[in-house]
Amino acid sequence: MVWLAAAVLAVLATDALHTRLPPSGGASRQMGFVPDPDLAKVLSLGFGAVLADFYWLQAIQAAGGDVRITPELGDHLGRLIDLVTTLNPRVDHPYRFAAIWMTASEQNVRTANRLLARGIEYHPDEWRNYFYLGFNHFFYLLENDRAAEWLDRASRLPGAPRYLPRLAARLKSESAEIEVAAVFLQEMLNTSQDDVAKEGYRAALDEIEVEQSARLLDGARARFQDRNGRDLRTVEELVAGESAVLRTLPAAEPLALPSALRRGSTWVLDPVSDRIVSTYYGKRYRLHVGESDRQRAEGWAEERRIRERVQGMEGSRGETRHEPSNHDR
Amino acid sequence: MSHPITTDDSREIVRVDAIVKDFRPGLGLRAKRVLHEVSFAVREGEIYGFVGPNGAGKTTTLKILMGLIRPTSGNATILDCDVTETGFREHIGFLPENPYFYSFLTAEEILRFYARLSGVGGRDRDRRVQALIELVGLGDARRERLSTYSKGMLQRVGIAQALIHDPKVVFLDEPMSGLDPIGRKDIRDIILRLKSEGKTVFMNTHILNDVEMICDRVAIIVKGRIRHEGPIREFMNEEAMRSDIVLAHLAPEVAEQLGAKFSARVQTVGEQVEVQVMDGQVRDLLKSALEAGAEVLSLSPNRISLERIFLEAVEQGEQADGSSAAERGAPAC
Amino acid sequence: MLNSGSRIWPIATNTVREAVRHRLLYTLLFFAVTMIGFSVLIASLSYVEGERIIQDVGLASIRLFSVGIAIFVGIGLIHGEVERRTIYTILAKPVTRSEFLLGKFLGLLLTVWLQLCLMAIAFVAVSVLVGAGLDLGYVAAMLLVGVELMVIVAVATLFSSFTTPMLAAFFTLGIYALGHLSRDLYSLGQASDVPAVKQAATLLYRALPDLESFNLSTQAVHGVAISGAEVGWASLYGVAYSIALLILASFIFHRRDLE
Ligand SMILES: Nc1ncnc2c1ncn2[C@@H]1O[C@H](COP(=O)(O)OP(=O)(O)OP(=O)(O)O)[C@@H](O)[C@H]1O
Ligand SMILES: [Mg+2]
Repeated sequence: MVWLAAAVLAVLATDALHTRLPPSGGASRQMGFVPDPDLAKVLSLGFGAVLADFYWLQAIQAAGGDVRITPELGDHLGRLIDLVTTLNPRVDHPYRFAAIWMTASEQNVRTANRLLARGIEYHPDEWRNYFYLGFNHFFYLLENDRAAEWLDRASRLPGAPRYLPRLAARLKSESAEIEVAAVFLQEMLNTSQDDVAKEGYRAALDEIEVEQSARLLDGARARFQDRNGRDLRTVEELVAGESAVLRTLPAAEPLALPSALRRGSTWVLDPVSDRIVSTYYGKRYRLHVGESDRQRAEGWAEERRIRERVQGMEGSRGETRHEPSNHDR
Repeated sequence: MSHPITTDDSREIVRVDAIVKDFRPGLGLRAKRVLHEVSFAVREGEIYGFVGPNGAGKTTTLKILMGLIRPTSGNATILDCDVTETGFREHIGFLPENPYFYSFLTAEEILRFYARLSGVGGRDRDRRVQALIELVGLGDARRERLSTYSKGMLQRVGIAQALIHDPKVVFLDEPMSGLDPIGRKDIRDIILRLKSEGKTVFMNTHILNDVEMICDRVAIIVKGRIRHEGPIREFMNEEAMRSDIVLAHLAPEVAEQLGAKFSARVQTVGEQVEVQVMDGQVRDLLKSALEAGAEVLSLSPNRISLERIFLEAVEQGEQADGSSAAERGAPAC
Repeated sequence: MLNSGSRIWPIATNTVREAVRHRLLYTLLFFAVTMIGFSVLIASLSYVEGERIIQDVGLASIRLFSVGIAIFVGIGLIHGEVERRTIYTILAKPVTRSEFLLGKFLGLLLTVWLQLCLMAIAFVAVSVLVGAGLDLGYVAAMLLVGVELMVIVAVATLFSSFTTPMLAAFFTLGIYALGHLSRDLYSLGQASDVPAVKQAATLLYRALPDLESFNLSTQAVHGVAISGAEVGWASLYGVAYSIALLILASFIFHRRDLE
């Protein structure tokens, strides 16, 4: 009896003391200490592979879930993947994991590129690492020449898609950026094993789809000016009245968008930029790194949350991707 | 002590020559001399008693003979081989002090193990194992693990393993320790049987009774020095040949008469008379005493002599130790 | 005249019988098998390369726990015999100290190899269950784990032959760690401008067991081609190193007073 009382007392006292300790915050759990890769490699005593797995799981935890990929988190992921690939350079996916997630700042992208280069060093026959490197140069850093170089090299490797040489050629001509981006993104979407990243690619493809429509409207606007000698006052003028140049306006929202998410967006003339924009995005698509890119990342995260909620409500409603239809008259 | 001068010219099986052993208790501490130029020899076919008080150096000497520790100086041979060699051990058996064995084995298993180590092969091995288990009286426990054995039973296993390969020379460190009276008798019988088979036995002990009963030669070691060495009968001097008789109902004057007649020492203690007489006179004295109406209360052979020598040797050792302080600190080499 | 084998073998088999009674051995074996099984759960946290993670964790558990067994059973190997004085009756038989040492070494080596086999079976079972690839590379990796264990058992035997289990554990763990570091120490030393440091690093590198040369687990998991020559040379090196250690152990043990 005495022992029981003593035991209960001891447990209660311990618990009380425990609750007084500062709890480990969510932030510190998300971005824990990452040891120096070279030191860790030395001290791993031949257990590098398993340590690499451990930190790889940490990287997945850090990037997964409803987190915003900030440049800080990108740095953290960079440190983790650097550690993982130093401890065991023979890993495969983590190199591209870095490329997928480290996009929130130019520095993130450059670090990811360095990691991809290490991946290429250890997997010289893996075309996807070259492809991702090309994509980063093109999509985030606007370095099309270098992107083309990497695509060239990727195209010579076994398993590489047959269209890569054409893609590389188009990159060199510096034209049709968004078509190239669409091809890239479609390829990443097809080959990615990462569901969350796939959502991101889909969102970017959606945006490109709307951008393509917007560019179509730009063309129509020019014809309108030619024909009427004046600019549009509203976008609707393109399809209304005698001066119409189009039969219908293209959708101002991505076609794949679930109906629950549709906002009935329309095309408007943005008074500041004087460009035709979809109210869905409120701006025109641009290949760019920096602030807007961070916003895009935030947008992706937001989108993803909504989609998940919607999918939860609607059950397993299949998401099919429609080919953009031609609205040109 | 000088090398013993042997009168009979039988072969010397064990020769120990001026062995010195220093122990170093620890780094930097002064070495402690445990054996001071110990020399003796054991001849073929004899039972040799190595006697001394606790801490005298008996076990240390035996460990040197078994090659377990090395002497600081001096050398020792067994069967004319240096004790650090291995080959001759086919012919020797060893029972350590308080023996301990792999406790997860049974008596049979451990004996088979030792038999294999000694090169006893094939069918011979099983036969020897069974014979020795019977010899030391462990028949009932032969298939039980040694972890369940009592101290005395382990001692018996120790004796069995020492004899498993039918050695020519047997070294026993306190073979009687931990044994009940029956066990002691059994071991005495075994030792005597070994002698009758022509084996040589070297035995450490401080039980003088056993020494007197079975040993042919004795060395007394005190504080690392041999104080006496020689055949047991040398210790059995005149005094040793006497017996003590305790009588009752004997008039003091008759007792005096008897004492004078048989040149016996007589002492009256109350109603009783204690008589000490030469062994040869016992019969006649008893006859006379009985005729005089006395009653014999006890008759015991006088066994104090070895003990007295032993005690004297120890005393001597203490004095020597006290006087020669120079000897205590051995050179740290 | 008897041959040594007939004396070494009984000592070795008794050592196996004694070692398999060690409770620690089963604890470590249990942990190893649990970890190998648990690797499936760990791997499920990753959406890619799960099979690789399972095998990484499995092989690491095998290497860690088998070395644990080798060290913690090995450190008391000789010392225990002297302490409990079981060695007295053995050395009084026509057994040389070298034979005794070799018997103890072989006994422990057989024990840890047996454990290694059990762990390997668990590893193969899990690999087959999750459909992870298995090929000759894994056999080579396991073989060299066995060779590494031989070196570690020899190191433990050496230290156990003249020091207490505590110190022997300390030294053996130290050698294990340094043995895995020796290549890094070497390259670190070569980067130095001081010639003495360079020489010391080279000396250390050559004196310490190069345990990384027995580590093929990552190569096996990643399907990197492993040449038979590589395995052969590493095994030979391990055997030679163990023999050298045992000779040193014998040399020390022969000169020791067994009190
Ligand atoms: N390893 C050692 N280190 C230091 N001193 C030792 C060591 N072993 C024995 N001694 C000392 O040597 C002396 C002789 O010891 P030994 O065991 O030979 O005595 P013994 O005659 O066998 O005594 P016992 O009758 O009690 O068995 C003792 O004083 C003991 O303290
Ligand atoms: Mg003793």
